[in-house]
Amino acid sequence: MRTLLVWLAGGLSLVGSSQAALASGWNMPVGVTDLSREIYNLHMAIFWICVVIGVVVFGVMFYSLIRYRHSKGAKAANFHENTTVELIWTAVPLLILVGMAIPATATLQKIYDPSDAELDVMVTGQQWRWRYDYLGEDVAFNSNLATSRSQIRGDEERGENYLLEVDEPLVLPINRKVRFLFTSDDVIHAWWVPDLAVKQDTIPGFISENWVRINEPGIYRGQCAELCGVDHAFMPIVVHAMEEDDFEIWLAERKELAAEEALGVDREWEMDELMERGEGVYATICASCHQPEGQGTPPAFPALAGNEQMLADIDWHTDIIINGVSGTAMPSFRTTLNPVELAAVITYTRNAWGNDTGDAVQPADIAKRLER
Amino acid sequence: MWGVIKSVLAAFLGVQKEAQRREDFEKGNPMAFILVGIVMALLFVGLIALVAIWAAG
Amino acid sequence: MAPKVPPQPTLEQSSNAAEAGHGHAHEAPPKGLMRWLLTTNHKEIGSLYLIFSLVMFFIGGIFALVVRLELFQPGLQFVNPEFFNQMTTMHGLIMVFAAVMPAFTGLANWMIPLQIGAPDMALPRLNNFSFWLLPVSFGLLLSTLFMPGGGPNFGWTFYAPLSTTFAPPSTTFFILALHIAGISSILGAINIVATILNMRAPGMRMMDMPLFVWTWLITGFLLIAVMPVLAGVITMMLMDINFGTSFFNAAGGGDPVLFQHLFWFFGHPEVYIMILPAFGIVSAIIPAFARKRLFGYASMVYATAAIALLSFMVWGHHMFVVGMPLVGQLFFMYATMLIAVPTGVKVFNWIATLFHGSISFEPPMLFALAFVVLFTIGGFSGLMLAIAPADFQYHDTYFVVAHFHYVLVPGAIFAIMAGVYFWLPKWTGHYPHERLSQWHFWLSVIGVNLTFFPMHFSGLAGMPRRIPDYALQFADFNMVSSIGAFMFGFSQLLFVAVVIICVRGGKKAPAAAWGDYADDLEWSVPSPAPLHTFETPPNYQRPAH
Repeated sequence: MRTLLVWLAGGLSLVGSSQAALASGWNMPVGVTDLSREIYNLHMAIFWICVVIGVVVFGVMFYSLIRYRHSKGAKAANFHENTTVELIWTAVPLLILVGMAIPATATLQKIYDPSDAELDVMVTGQQWRWRYDYLGEDVAFNSNLATSRSQIRGDEERGENYLLEVDEPLVLPINRKVRFLFTSDDVIHAWWVPDLAVKQDTIPGFISENWVRINEPGIYRGQCAELCGVDHAFMPIVVHAMEEDDFEIWLAERKELAAEEALGVDREWEMDELMERGEGVYATICASCHQPEGQGTPPAFPALAGNEQMLADIDWHTDIIINGVSGTAMPSFRTTLNPVELAAVITYTRNAWGNDTGDAVQPADIAKRLER
Repeated sequence: MWGVIKSVLAAFLGVQKEAQRREDFEKGNPMAFILVGIVMALLFVGLIALVAIWAAG
Repeated sequence: MAPKVPPQPTLEQSSNAAEAGHGHAHEAPPKGLMRWLLTTNHKEIGSLYLIFSLVMFFIGGIFALVVRLELFQPGLQFVNPEFFNQMTTMHGLIMVFAAVMPAFTGLANWMIPLQIGAPDMALPRLNNFSFWLLPVSFGLLLSTLFMPGGGPNFGWTFYAPLSTTFAPPSTTFFILALHIAGISSILGAINIVATILNMRAPGMRMMDMPLFVWTWLITGFLLIAVMPVLAGVITMMLMDINFGTSFFNAAGGGDPVLFQHLFWFFGHPEVYIMILPAFGIVSAIIPAFARKRLFGYASMVYATAAIALLSFMVWGHHMFVVGMPLVGQLFFMYATMLIAVPTGVKVFNWIATLFHGSISFEPPMLFALAFVVLFTIGGFSGLMLAIAPADFQYHDTYFVVAHFHYVLVPGAIFAIMAGVYFWLPKWTGHYPHERLSQWHFWLSVIGVNLTFFPMHFSGLAGMPRRIPDYALQFADFNMVSSIGAFMFGFSQLLFVAVVIICVRGGKKAPAAAWGDYADDLEWSVPSPAPLHTFETPPNYQRPAH
């Protein structure tokens, strides 16, 4: 018995110490929206109800275990079945449940009211990144994991936001009702930011909606919550919530950038430029399946280095990148990448790792092909 | 009939007087209990659905 | 309600005669391997089921330890994410379909004929077939790990289209394996239901049956109702993968959400299939060691039926974040919350049985008591998960992982172990080694809580499930979980030791091994139970009130 107590104490203190170390990170966050606070309150209410029930139920149980020990000569009473008692222990839980269901229903009703949104953002899940499209604003971009592979392997020290950092965060204004439209290009993902209390599946072929109104500026981090394949752990979400004025400035800058990029389509690109741009695109978009050195992981993800069919037929190659291969994991990049990026990545894959074809694909040609 | 419904309701709650239960098992017609049980199960589903529809507005 | 069995002078005689095999219609059984391959005896098939499930429990456990090893620290150290996903998937599939379910079927095979006074199962050859499908099924499933492209890597819930369009080539084998396991379950369930309905001893009415028999009867109906749904959904996957249909492929006009509806219409009753027989076992053990009748036999039966009924109307709570309409959310939330009522009735009944009892703490009782406490904790987190708005934060996090492991490990698996300790004297004629059993119990209890309790915190703090690598703030919780998992895993070797020691020898057990309040029919036959029992039906007499 004594050894047991020592064990128990050891176990508890282990749990206790890890709690202390994470004083801020062991419970659901209150979050930064009215609804996230409401959900937090619901969570704590039901938690305390469970604690009270637990104390009563386990209290009676352990009292009985200690008080009525056979070894202490306890004699069993001979009672059973009592309609009054049974009615009470059926009715009381029922009442508690009704008491819980009422506030839960009220919260749910608020969550299900996306009307009067001031900004629409389309969120598209892709293996394994997020794409954000500010509807009606001509601003769209991909958001990829920014943590380096060498940190994941442990060759480099892990940063503070390990696995929770992206190259391009989703930027949102505070105090404005933002409506999300969720969809996916491939498998089901789930977009989740705990501080915003929004978690919703992104489903290929379907669009569902949800909304958020953020109260405080800040950077809020989350992750994909639905198993979506090999890099499920590596598609985080970062939301950068800004004051409304700052958001307008940011949006204007992004629009300008998009316009510049559009201009780039028409000019002639040098091989070096294409290769440099293509290497970046390949690393963020292609490398997780086809591997950094283009060796692939057959049979699911074919090798690109020395891929004869691909090198022999540039037309086929371009078609696959733009339209994907139906029935396989290869998605269409028609909307994910712009013509410059498409041209660059095709050029890169045709010239890297000893694939020295010398082909330089021009963005203008791709743009023409996309229009067809 | 009313007796059967009352007994099925009691079974839904899991609370029944021992004497009544004995009587049901000894004198009752099982088919009646099964049919009433199925109908009431469907009514129960309908009831929750109605509450949900009402709450959803 | 506890049945009292009158002395049966003819019983021993007939079973002895049966064992000797003389003067009976039985032919001499084949020897060696063929005996086990061809056996139609419910006790032998029961043992086969139990041994199979124990082996699978260890295989599934090794997969879990691979997962916990990788999660010991942040970063990728031991396995790559692809293999990690195969491990989480295989762990779930093996534990659900090859460990927990066959263990309960094994206990049913052994105990139901003994508890209702039947000589064997109603359909003995079918029984043999049901069992031998299992090694085929799971041999096939495990072999996918060695196929090109690896085994299933889409989670045990295998959501489409990850499990169809984006699945490894071995998925067709996975579907076939699951079909075979499903056939085995359906046939087993039909057999058990037929046995219970037709082969009770003369005089034993439905409301006289032990609760393990009652819970298995209801479980049998659940199995017959939902396993075909699983078969349907995996057939649709098979068509999508191999024959160009588009049930779940949006590009072809299909609906990925349909998959989830079908899967969880099977899946939610499935979780009750894994817990209802556990209720039956615990309801037999607690009165035995509290030396007091179960407080409410009838309400236990009704509560089991109520849970089974509700289990068909709550599947949507697994899909709160797919974006269902508000009415759907509310319906599934209300229905799910209602499950707390009959479940509460059960827990209250056990505690009312303990109250004013005369309680001793033999190994089966230790596991049964731990079951009551820890299953209830799993029930509490289940209630929290039922609140749809709160579920938006809990969904697909380690909070869910903590919840279902609490109801399945110290829930279903502890109940199975309690049942094994309870019935080992009947099976082997010896009591399990007391000291070793206690070590097994305490190490398991501590290991289980060390593993799964911190998962509540890592989930609430924001850790999604099924990830091979995680952000740094989850590191401490994961380290504790991993230590607990290895502790729990290795302490199960003690269980094997206890069973082996018990088979080979130990303190001799009498027919009624656990005293006056373990008084169902199985305790009226000698310990160890002879190969053939109740060849002459016992004359069942219910106790006078």
